[in-house]
Amino acid sequence: MLKSEKKSLIRFLLIYFGSTFLLFSIASWIFYTSQKHHLLDQQRDALKFESTQVISKLRTLHKTYTSTLTYPVDPFVKSAIYDLDKRYIFGTDKQRDLLTQQEYMVIESKIYYLSKVEPYYLGAAFLLVSKELDEKPIMELKRNIGLFLLSAGMFFALLGLFLGKLFIAPMRESIEKMNHFIQDATHELNTPISTILANIEMLETFGKCKKNDELKRIEIASKTLSLIYEDLTYLNLNHNYYRNIESLDISNLIQERMIYFSVMAEKKNLKFEIEIEPDVVLEIDKNDATRLIDNLISNAIKYNKIQGLLTVILSQDSLRVIDTGGGIEKKDLDTIICRFKRANKSEGGFGIGLDIVNQVVESYDFVLDIHSQIGKGTEVVIRWEK
Amino acid sequence: MGKIIFLCMLFSIGVVAGNITIDDKQQVQEKCLQCHNQEQIPNGLIYRRYLMKYSTKEAMKIAIMKYLKDPKQKNSIMPHPFFSKFSMKEVSDLDDENLKKNIQTFLNTFDLKKNLVLPE
Repeated sequence: MLKSEKKSLIRFLLIYFGSTFLLFSIASWIFYTSQKHHLLDQQRDALKFESTQVISKLRTLHKTYTSTLTYPVDPFVKSAIYDLDKRYIFGTDKQRDLLTQQEYMVIESKIYYLSKVEPYYLGAAFLLVSKELDEKPIMELKRNIGLFLLSAGMFFALLGLFLGKLFIAPMRESIEKMNHFIQDATHELNTPISTILANIEMLETFGKCKKNDELKRIEIASKTLSLIYEDLTYLNLNHNYYRNIESLDISNLIQERMIYFSVMAEKKNLKFEIEIEPDVVLEIDKNDATRLIDNLISNAIKYNKIQGLLTVILSQDSLRVIDTGGGIEKKDLDTIICRFKRANKSEGGFGIGLDIVNQVVESYDFVLDIHSQIGKGTEVVIRWEK
Repeated sequence: MGKIIFLCMLFSIGVVAGNITIDDKQQVQEKCLQCHNQEQIPNGLIYRRYLMKYSTKEAMKIAIMKYLKDPKQKNSIMPHPFFSKFSMKEVSDLDDENLKKNIQTFLNTFDLKKNLVLPE
């Protein structure tokens, strides 16, 4: 994994885990609080019932005329009675400082309930009852929430890793494409430059010899470089440069470009079969048309076999460029127009030629068809409506 | 001498703590309860009615004082049928100080708090 990929994955996971953790923590806290209140409410209700029991016994006691009045005692519930001025009267648990306005209180491990007594049996205006808080259901609730958070955390961690990989997959693909492009570009630029330099050296060394071959090689290499430059510039500025749409004589343009590529074609001993209908005019920007034709012809030359046939047919509604090269596999036909896609890596190239062709075709609402047979060759057809 | 000092201290503690002395008890007996007993008025019941309504001794003292100084049905805690059975008492000839003292003794005598116990 590349450093940038790692960085992106870590950032994604941090955001993902952070937000997920925050969300789950808040949800768990809300759930815990509501459930805890519910559990406490149950215990409060039980305590409230106990207090009504005590008050009932106080009433009985108030009406009892014996020398000793036995205060009602419950083994699990402590209680105390207070007069109207909140002075302690009697009980099993003296907690005067808890006589506040609150009905219920939870202090440490005890739950308290303060009720008003009316009428004042035995002079008691307040009854404070308390018992040990039953922590078991609350602990169980905490344990269950903890287990849920743990299992959800594990699930979302796995999901996060899966999503993270999905997240960086397009980036990874782009990086790989860029790496291949840089490698191809280096190679593509290196070949013509080396050719030019080597031939210049030969001209200097053997100055008196026939110079035709060397000059042709230099010309081919220079044209290759020029083509690369034009293509890269086109790709770079495609969406930004101003297009001058004009009525362009495509017939003339194709003939010009055929002459331009003739030296390259000669190098491979290609035969031409050219059927150009005269006066085919399209409303198109000249640079777009040149890039379209150049890429089709240069591809047909590049991927043609030695002594092969290059056919160019121009009619009023279409342009056909047919080579007799190795052909494109059927599975690659759908993706061959994608940028950096190269079906045949034995020849040089970036994989941008057909991408440029496709861009021009889409810009002018033309139709692009590619037919190919392995071992026989490829036919590229551009159709337009007159 | 030591015994005298001890008895004095014991008496003082008794007064401060609000305990009933024999004299106080005799005075309440003569001025209040004697008549109650003759007319068979249930003292415990009266105390509990005051206690049930006023809760604190201070509030009870004020309410009893008000009734003793102006013994009318509207100042009494007892229900209407009580007065059809028992006649309304006359205005006390005791001064305020003695009235207060007797009320205090009455309340201490019938105090329920001292009867309260926890089960063994």
